[in-house]
Amino acid sequence: MRKATQLAGAVCLLVASVTGMVTSAWAAPASERYLHVKVEDAKEGESVNVNLPLSIAEKILPTVNKGKLHDGHVTIGSADLDGIDVKGLLDAIRTAPDNEFVTVKQKDQDVRIAKSNGNLIVHVRCIDHDKQNGKQTDKQNDRQNVDVTIPLKVVDALFSTAKDNELNIVAALHELSDAGDALLVTVQDASQHVRVWVDSKSTSD
Amino acid sequence: MVLLGKIALGITGTMLAGVGAICSQGMIEVNVVERQPEVHHVYVIAPAMLVPIATHFIPRHDLGDASQQLRPYMPTIRAALDQLQATEDFVLVDVKDRNQHVEVQKIGGSLVVDVRDENETVHVETPVRMISSTLEQLAAADSATAD
Repeated sequence: MRKATQLAGAVCLLVASVTGMVTSAWAAPASERYLHVKVEDAKEGESVNVNLPLSIAEKILPTVNKGKLHDGHVTIGSADLDGIDVKGLLDAIRTAPDNEFVTVKQKDQDVRIAKSNGNLIVHVRCIDHDKQNGKQTDKQNDRQNVDVTIPLKVVDALFSTAKDNELNIVAALHELSDAGDALLVTVQDASQHVRVWVDSKSTSD
Repeated sequence: MVLLGKIALGITGTMLAGVGAICSQGMIEVNVVERQPEVHHVYVIAPAMLVPIATHFIPRHDLGDASQQLRPYMPTIRAALDQLQATEDFVLVDVKDRNQHVEVQKIGGSLVVDVRDENETVHVETPVRMISSTLEQLAAADSATAD
């Protein structure tokens, strides 16, 4: 009788612990998504990493009401969008096949804007004529190459407000957290390398 | 004898409950190791609940300015701290240069700041719940004075 009681107790404990484990597994939140910003300066030997959970950014932004930021929206100057139907433009890009839409070649800079695999891609390349000719100049330090890749869904969310002169940052962050891992921005100059990306890792490693 | 046992049990139970209540918000940990010019080691560990309790004893009129400045940011602070408690552990900021390494991370229910350089090491661990309750008290201080 005593052994049976002990056995029953052990079984109850086992059931309770298994139930606890299953419940905690069910209760575990979905994998957190992080916005990473990494700045490396090879010349100075410095690096700065910021890893921000997108859920925190989504909760904080609507509470900030200062300057041009209010309720998770940013007001942009009407002069910046002077006469441009951004929503119409985005609709045209969305329905168009993958292509390079804009190519600007200047004396010291190439700019390309394209659509590829549901992403809006911007490349800015600085052409260093002095370097090509084998000369070293101070200007080389100012030259930057910039690559921006943004999922079109995120761009759509950004312009999903009722007003034309507002960007919906919270909606864009929400869409970004639903998108897959993505390298969003890289900026490279003579000594600094900046990267902005989204993934599920809690560190920048 | 039985009565003495009951009294001892009561005292022990009360003490345990008190310690449990005091430690319910976690512990604050500060660890500073200075290597130069002299070696110093400061290590403090204290129940986090003491901070909001201590805040009660600060004269309200001395908190007036702090409360007024803090209050507009409280919705943002609340949102940030609530969400911080809900998220898994992560490294928020990591800054390295040739001489120094600064790390701010969330570990368990605490915000942990580590600074390491050639001369000293600093480790500060503060429970998020304590930060939240202390800031709430500070923000409320001004309205209490007004009343």
